[in-house]
Amino acid sequence: MSALITETPVEPLPETSSPATSVQRAPLEPPELEAIYEEHSRPIFYLALRMLGDPTQAEDATHDVFLKAYRKLGEFKGNSSIRTWLYRITINHCQNLLQTWHRRNIHGTDDETFWERAVGPGDSPLRVLETKELGQRIQKSLDALPEGYRLLLLLVADEKLSYDEVGALTNQSSDAVRGKLHRARKTFAAAFHQTA
Amino acid sequence: MSQPTSRLNQRQREEAISQQQSAQNTLEFAAAEEMLRHDAGQIPVPPTVAERLQKSVASEPAPPKSWWRRLLKS
Repeated sequence: MSALITETPVEPLPETSSPATSVQRAPLEPPELEAIYEEHSRPIFYLALRMLGDPTQAEDATHDVFLKAYRKLGEFKGNSSIRTWLYRITINHCQNLLQTWHRRNIHGTDDETFWERAVGPGDSPLRVLETKELGQRIQKSLDALPEGYRLLLLLVADEKLSYDEVGALTNQSSDAVRGKLHRARKTFAAAFHQTA
Repeated sequence: MSQPTSRLNQRQREEAISQQQSAQNTLEFAAAEEMLRHDAGQIPVPPTVAERLQKSVASEPAPPKSWWRRLLKS
């Protein structure tokens, strides 16, 4: 399976997403954690995977992010959505990992079993290979980008985030997000074509 | 004389099928984030994460009360 980026105009994200719950929250109870995990673990795992580039480290990071959320939900004031809050924890956690000696010196494993799990049980070995190959090309392309562009694209890919929220997570205005997004798309497309 | 023509037709048919399959297998994305969205949709969270999290939460002390509850009690 091959993949192309045709760069046709993309529907812009809404200026603001659904308003954040502004209710102060009680400490997180395990059943509530379960619901939050159910709803948000997939985008959090994906962000960690593409930031760290390693499935095993992304698993560890996702576990750590939700454990931190469990410990700190009492401090969550509801000024943003839960997802934005979880993304912020994930970004900080992954950036810390990327800067540590441990991360620089311990190379992760390209876990074959991870890619086998990533497709359905009925999927053919060819499909496993295709998913893995596309994932590897995407990872290489993301790794070739400046960090700001990489994070911007990963966040904009989540349709539940508005430009305002992406801007808040990347410390810039929503106008700056729009401006950089155009350049980030072009840089990614060029990097992706080079991986063919 | 009809044999080479038949072989040519056969080859043309095979090429046409191959091109068709190739077109069917090509994914097109309007922008980078659409490709990332597709990629994210292919990748589930490994179930081991939820299992580990459940164990970690079970061994945690009860989380502290939120700031507003503490405020109300004082």
